[in-house]
Amino acid sequence: MPLVRKPVDRAAAENPDAAAVLQALGSNDADERWAAARAAAQVSGGATALIRALQRERDANVREAMLTSLARIGSDESVEGLLSLLRSDDANSRTGALDALRSMTGLQRDLLPRLLQDADNDVRILSCELVRALPSDEATDHLCALLTRERDVNVCAAAIDVLTEVGTAAALPVLQQCGERFRDTPFLAFAIEVATDRITAESTRRG
Amino acid sequence: MADRKTVLVVDDASLVRLYYRSTLEKAGFEVEEAMNGLEALEKVLTTSVDMLIVDVNMPQMDGFSFLEALRQKEGAVGGIPALVTSTESAAADFAAARAAGANFYLVKPIDQATLVDFAAMFCGVSR
Amino acid sequence: MADPQALSEDEFRKLCEFVYRRTGMVFTEPKRYYLERRVFERMTATGSGTFASYFARLRQDVQHEIEHFVNAFTVNETYFYREDHQLRCLTTDLLPERIAVKGKAAPIRIWSVPCSTGEEPYSVAMWLLENWPLVDEHEIEILGSDIDTQALEAARDGIFGKRALMRLPADLVAKYFTAIDDERWRILEDLRDSVRFSTVNIVEQGETRPHGGFDVIFCRNVLIYFDDASRRMAAENLFENLLPGGFICLGHTESMSRISPLFQVRRFADAIVYQRPTRVTQDG
Repeated sequence: MPLVRKPVDRAAAENPDAAAVLQALGSNDADERWAAARAAAQVSGGATALIRALQRERDANVREAMLTSLARIGSDESVEGLLSLLRSDDANSRTGALDALRSMTGLQRDLLPRLLQDADNDVRILSCELVRALPSDEATDHLCALLTRERDVNVCAAAIDVLTEVGTAAALPVLQQCGERFRDTPFLAFAIEVATDRITAESTRRG
Repeated sequence: MADRKTVLVVDDASLVRLYYRSTLEKAGFEVEEAMNGLEALEKVLTTSVDMLIVDVNMPQMDGFSFLEALRQKEGAVGGIPALVTSTESAAADFAAARAAGANFYLVKPIDQATLVDFAAMFCGVSR
Repeated sequence: MADPQALSEDEFRKLCEFVYRRTGMVFTEPKRYYLERRVFERMTATGSGTFASYFARLRQDVQHEIEHFVNAFTVNETYFYREDHQLRCLTTDLLPERIAVKGKAAPIRIWSVPCSTGEEPYSVAMWLLENWPLVDEHEIEILGSDIDTQALEAARDGIFGKRALMRLPADLVAKYFTAIDDERWRILEDLRDSVRFSTVNIVEQGETRPHGGFDVIFCRNVLIYFDDASRRMAAENLFENLLPGGFICLGHTESMSRISPLFQVRRFADAIVYQRPTRVTQDG
């Protein structure tokens, strides 16, 4: 029978040599850069090197590995690096940064107030997504605070979209006021109506 | 009697997809949904799509990356007309959309009449 | 027992939207009855008095509630020839592509992870013997790995009950199993010897890396339940365990669109699978 057992390849025990890893982040070989990107999560100086490497890395998969490592490092420096990518003009960078930030649970609480007041519309929009992970009461508080002061239609839309999932009854008055402010924007009127319905949804008994 | 045309709405906001769906279905279109660029790439492999409405900011794969990947595909799939929607109105964003392979670019929010007009136009349906 | 609650329209939509966003699964009106029943079962099991309180639990994945809830829809018991459409795809499309690339230079390596009590890797072995004309011309290694050491012990023993065998035609059971008694069958020693089992936590690179490169990985109904951070790590680990051009198959209700952008989607007649790109860098 041709189905054969083979012994498991044994991997060499590895303690990454920091200098080699950081250097390999600039290798011409994408596979080497990939391996270095993953290893950089565990060497000193990793965050600085990853942030720098992300500025020029073009391979989508290597970028993904770099972002994962930054999220794993979780230092203030790595978070700032991710936030600056969140502000990028490049959509791919924004998406990558948001996904990486989303994976850093516990971080959202510290960051959110600041992000939801950021001067950049896109940052506020993207940050609404980070609110989704929070418990309903907290999430509702954040989004209501945003909606109360928000003037940009698309930021409101993003907040309302998240509220349809996480919103509690506390959101209803704020939604109504928002509706009055934007009564001439049909999409927002629609969004607020749906959000209101979803928040007030209640079961009926069968039979 | 012509078959109904199918529009694939690619947007991670559920309310946007719902709004476009109800608008387009009332206007006689079939609507499919995807919530990010990766899902959209899968959808076009399994469903016949006449037009795409693609948002830019989405998790896992943004709208421009999706379009670039789509435009590299051979055959009809690679050429599906795409309307890109975005929150940004700067000239640089129009240029980026064009470079990615968008056929047109609109700033959100998009009103219902415009949506239907563009769908009809891109799907080759008379109004 | 109380009647199951009917969900209101808005509750139903809220639930559908959450599950769609999180897993990619689309629930439509025809499935509504099953969904409501499932919600009621889980509400009872978790002591949730209202849908709202249950939904809050589901949303935050309290005690892996997403997995508990969705499990019912993935029919998550394990049995032989489950998702046989993927096995068909394996012999019809995946292996021919891999052989076209590597010829006989190296063995074909297939990984079932998690393998649980072994039904999946043994199914692969049986399927190849039964359905692959080239099975005698190529060296094949099949590995089954899991984090659960007890399941692995059972897998090595190779003893299965009626439910595990329910999808197998009687002639295959007769051919590859010996009846121990009315309720239990043991898979033949040759087949037990043809699959190697190992422990692995797929989130740990130190544990996945030693397993080497594979042509095909079956990783079903586990990635979708991980939290974001674990999912990223596991996806990157499995990417490394795929040879360039190698394929990874998920559970039929799962999609890489909710898991990772590392892989490219491929559609074949029998299945949607995902592929590690071949060695061409995707420079922008």
